[in-house]
Amino acid sequence: MNLLKLAPFCAVAALSATAVQARDFTIAGWGGNYQDAQRAAYFEPFAQSKGLKFIETTYLGGLAELKTMAETGNVIWDLVITDGPTLQLGCDEGLFETLNWDTIEGKDKLMPEAIGICGVGNVVIGNGFAFNSATFPEGPKNWADFFDLAKFPGKRGIKNEPMMNLEYALMADGVPPEQIYEVLGTPEGVDRAFAQLDRIKGELQYWDAGSQPVEWLAADNVAMSTAYNGRIITAAKEGKPLTYVWTNQIYNIDAWAVPANAPFKAEAMEFLNVANAAENQAKFSTLMPYGPTNVDVIGLLPPEVAANLPAGDNIKDSLFLSDPFWIDHKDELTERWNNWATH
Amino acid sequence: MSILSQKTHGGRLAALVLLVLPLALYIIVYLVPLGSIVSLSLDNRALSDRFPALRVVLDQGAEATPDMRAAALISDLGGLDARQQGETARLLNQEISGFRSLVLETSRNAATIPPTMEALLAFDARWKNAQYWEVIARNVSPISWRHFQKATGLKPGPDGSLYLAEGDDIYLRIMLRTLVIALQVTALTVLLGYPLAYGVANAPRRWSTFILTVILLSFWTSILVRTTAWVVLLQTNGLINTLLIRLGIVSEPVQLIFNRFGVLVAMTHVLLPFAIIPMMNVMRTIPASQGQASRSLGAGGVETFLRVYLPQSLRGVVVGGGTVFILSLGFYVTPALTGGPGDQMLSWYIADFVRRSLNWGMASALSVMLLGGVLLLLTVYGLARWLMARPGKAA
Repeated sequence: MNLLKLAPFCAVAALSATAVQARDFTIAGWGGNYQDAQRAAYFEPFAQSKGLKFIETTYLGGLAELKTMAETGNVIWDLVITDGPTLQLGCDEGLFETLNWDTIEGKDKLMPEAIGICGVGNVVIGNGFAFNSATFPEGPKNWADFFDLAKFPGKRGIKNEPMMNLEYALMADGVPPEQIYEVLGTPEGVDRAFAQLDRIKGELQYWDAGSQPVEWLAADNVAMSTAYNGRIITAAKEGKPLTYVWTNQIYNIDAWAVPANAPFKAEAMEFLNVANAAENQAKFSTLMPYGPTNVDVIGLLPPEVAANLPAGDNIKDSLFLSDPFWIDHKDELTERWNNWATH
Repeated sequence: MSILSQKTHGGRLAALVLLVLPLALYIIVYLVPLGSIVSLSLDNRALSDRFPALRVVLDQGAEATPDMRAAALISDLGGLDARQQGETARLLNQEISGFRSLVLETSRNAATIPPTMEALLAFDARWKNAQYWEVIARNVSPISWRHFQKATGLKPGPDGSLYLAEGDDIYLRIMLRTLVIALQVTALTVLLGYPLAYGVANAPRRWSTFILTVILLSFWTSILVRTTAWVVLLQTNGLINTLLIRLGIVSEPVQLIFNRFGVLVAMTHVLLPFAIIPMMNVMRTIPASQGQASRSLGAGGVETFLRVYLPQSLRGVVVGGGTVFILSLGFYVTPALTGGPGDQMLSWYIADFVRRSLNWGMASALSVMLLGGVLLLLTVYGLARWLMARPGKAA
């Protein structure tokens, strides 16, 4: 009887909860130091200037969450940072809002690679390799050294996926960066990349999270490891004897995007102006050693900060990761990679 | 009087409904997701619904001229909205690399292509390749076995018979590896857990409480924390390697992690409580007087154990071992952190398909395969038990 009396109240409570759906402006990111830097450089200034409350969440990348939101119609994010291939795939499937670049400030200052149909490129990430300078005082210089076990014996850490590793292998085999995707587009080119990887296969140790290479290198578990420049430089600043090799690294761009039908769409679009502003990007790069997409920023930074960023001279012989190539070939090459890695 | 009895009757009914409701909810909560996984692995409507005209043309078989096929394809691709274009292109690209750009370009420019094969080939010569047409032809029906074909590696040959191509058995090999690791972990937990459970069940109270506390303490710690602890202990310059070198047992660090050894150690540790607790509970019910009786009848310690204690404790071993086996089949985090690529279990690939490739059909097919494997094993086990129990009952 008591329960029956309670029922209407429960129903009313449930209904009002769905009707109001009060939630704050929600931002999804990669978490860690990276998101801490974004908070200081972008989230807080933006929230303050708009008098807006925001909440943050983290995700592991990919489109799984966004696809679920689109299919259920319950869009719980208003702004998300994503990588290039994910942005392109999501954009083609209508999971992100298309941007009206006429209303976005600072377009003329952005690198051309940063301007997308659905995303604003914001962070330039360096992907290269690092070594422990206590182990190798006379360190490896390039990808050929990374793949040379005779010259530099020891375990190698690499990420457990074909993307970038195939490019590294071809560069070690002498393919210049500008021809990488031309070569990799042919079956012979893929064979050539796997043949290089075969040379170090016995010494490989596979990482999944960006923090693992740093731990492994610092503990001398691996002699060298592919890594993100930001993680290595941050660790080196903390006093770990790690050196990052800039030669022929691959750079890619993380971009801000707005999930389709986000409730705070208008606010999210205004956030993009804050993300493009040179002084905010300069603050981010000071806190987190990743590169800016606004070309004015390097001039604003002290030289010792700029020297550690994937920008300017550090990316002069770099390869820009091809999103179209990986969107077309990822399924096929991942299958081959898994087959190769598990044998 | 009658009103009162009616009231109690209604009350009983309400009580019955309230009691049955959780059960019904329980069944729904378990069966509905299972059904949706099975249907996801077969459902191909996301593709077949996009080719209504082509389906009609292809149904005509040999009567369909190339121009009819081209016209149907152009009209189907031209009818897609932007979202459908992206999805269709991504799904087709799962079958042939590079199909994506062909579909997107043709679809976006469909209005400008005259409805003939000649015009289609002039627009993009890639349509000459019969492979693309075969892939679409395979995907015009609403139910597709393509995910299961990929999961098992079995492909229909030109003559209709199934064959297994080189390297295509990758998921079968991983399935087998998953079963092998689960069995190894089960064997290890039972072997290690049995003496511990015996200790807890038979030691003096103070000791048994102490052992039980230690076991439960690790039970209450998060799996991620325990796994990471093993990474720290087993790594190249970790505690165990340092100890081995100090003691002079080895001269160089041994590879203890990122291989099968690391996976088995960490998984066994994580799952040990699940084996110990059921075994301990059963052992506690075995009266000590039975052992004494056996000894007084002249049996030695070994014989007493084998003929009196072991058979009675076996029920706990089956429950504990079975729990560990089922749990370890779905393990993901522990092998991901302590194993190499040759030690990843099926869950790793399922997660990879959900998260990185956005191929939910394939993830579902692999899940169904895992579930099918477990059901098959349970059936074999049940059958074996039934067959073994029969002569006993007859006697």
